[in-house]
Amino acid sequence: MSAVLDANAFDERISQLVVTRRRARIWRYARNILVVALVAWSVEAIVIGDTDWSRITAAGVAKAAWRFIDFDASILLSLWEPALETLLMATLATLLGMVMAIPVAWLGASNISPFGRTTYAIGRVLMTLSRSVHEVVWGLVFVAAVGLGALAGVLAMAVRSIGFISKTVAEAIEDVNPGPVEAMRAVGANRFQVLMFGIVPQVLPVMVGNIIFEWDVNIRRSTIMGLVGAGGLGLALHRQMAAYNYGGIATVIAVILLMIIFGEVVSYYARKKVT
Amino acid sequence: MSAVAQAQAVTPAAVLGVRDLRVSYTSGKEILKGISFDVGPEAFFAIIGPSGAGKSTLIRCINRLVEPTSGQVLFGGRDLLKLDEKQMRLERRNIGMIFQEFNLIDRLSVIDNVLTGRLGHVGNLRSMFRMYSKEDIANAVRLLDRVGLIDHLDKRADQLSGGQRQRVGIARALIQNPKLLLVDEPTSSLDPKIAREVMAMIRGIAGEFQVPVLCNIHDVDLALEFCSRVIGLQGGIKKFDGPPADIDKHVLGDIYAMEVL
Repeated sequence: MSAVLDANAFDERISQLVVTRRRARIWRYARNILVVALVAWSVEAIVIGDTDWSRITAAGVAKAAWRFIDFDASILLSLWEPALETLLMATLATLLGMVMAIPVAWLGASNISPFGRTTYAIGRVLMTLSRSVHEVVWGLVFVAAVGLGALAGVLAMAVRSIGFISKTVAEAIEDVNPGPVEAMRAVGANRFQVLMFGIVPQVLPVMVGNIIFEWDVNIRRSTIMGLVGAGGLGLALHRQMAAYNYGGIATVIAVILLMIIFGEVVSYYARKKVT
Repeated sequence: MSAVAQAQAVTPAAVLGVRDLRVSYTSGKEILKGISFDVGPEAFFAIIGPSGAGKSTLIRCINRLVEPTSGQVLFGGRDLLKLDEKQMRLERRNIGMIFQEFNLIDRLSVIDNVLTGRLGHVGNLRSMFRMYSKEDIANAVRLLDRVGLIDHLDKRADQLSGGQRQRVGIARALIQNPKLLLVDEPTSSLDPKIAREVMAMIRGIAGEFQVPVLCNIHDVDLALEFCSRVIGLQGGIKKFDGPPADIDKHVLGDIYAMEVL
């Protein structure tokens, strides 16, 4: 028997508990049924109703797949140039994105934002804007602005990179050990010097690591920038698709895959080195 | 009493005068409830008291790392609390500070850490490329020799032991050529033997440079051994102010009343 509750209060407590548990269970079931219903509705509306089922036959699928396996090696040599372009686009875009991300991180780090909440909000909005618009959409925007070609792709990826780099750097700045900052203030350093000596050395490893990671991601992005006319391997892919050369499409995809693996391996070892 | 009369009330020889210093947090909690004292030249001043007594806050009010609510901090003939941001920054160059957690810049070399003590005298561009004057570099080397780290000057700061790191902190404070040294719990992160060495070094160097020291320290034995004067703080109130010889069980009981309970 409990030391605090007498027998009556104890019984009442238990019956109360039974009621609240039953109520919680009912809610749980209701929630789960709702989720299942939503999924079922989506499948019905989007997949079942919207698909031309008569086209999908075992033979048809096999035939389509076979067309891709017919690897077209003749275009391999001509892919050398766009592959290199893709790599350079990714590198340039990452560097440009980094340069633009630094002031955004400065604005968006709550502890050092120059004019408090206003500039903090501006920084955060810029971060979200950069991240919430897809790189292909940025690509369309910049193709419209500066015309077809690699420049539009570089700008699109750079703007898309601002978000990730500035967000991670701003978060690193917010997590900085305040000790060195305090020490730099105490010696009479000005704001810029406090930033350069108290904060930058602490966030540098995080920043470099994330920039390398973003470079890796940008290689992936630059392989599709060509689809909107913004240069690189994507353009080669687009041409093969326009020519219905399925073997050529497979070749380009294989080259893209190789580039991505290359980027991932380089980024893995480079990041291991800095952190 | 008017501000002028109060300023005159400072002992002529005093380097630092603290008058009725009060600090409240925005929550309204009062950390310091009207502290006054004078620090004379060549004094080794210890502030003792239980944790939470306001020792760290008090020392940070002197160079305004913490902003006091009211009172006066008289230093170099001026009330520091009346200075604007820029003037305060220039005045901080004359006040060295040594920290409990050393607060070094881990990724910089030992000598570059010492040289950050000169940042207040170096322009933005020069500081960015870490271009210090030949004289500053010579002084840094001299100080590192004095604290026994001449063989470690190219090492990264995070490769040193705790005691060595604190000695870098001492050199960084002294390259400022300070007129006052603020020391915040210099030994709390160190083992007892190293703690004693560090205290002895601070006292020795302060004597050589003829700079008065204001030192927070919770270790009463160390305080009594090294200091020439003691302030006892408890709950934001000054409970004792006098030479270490006057401290007995009764005084300690008064200062540490909270802990006795």
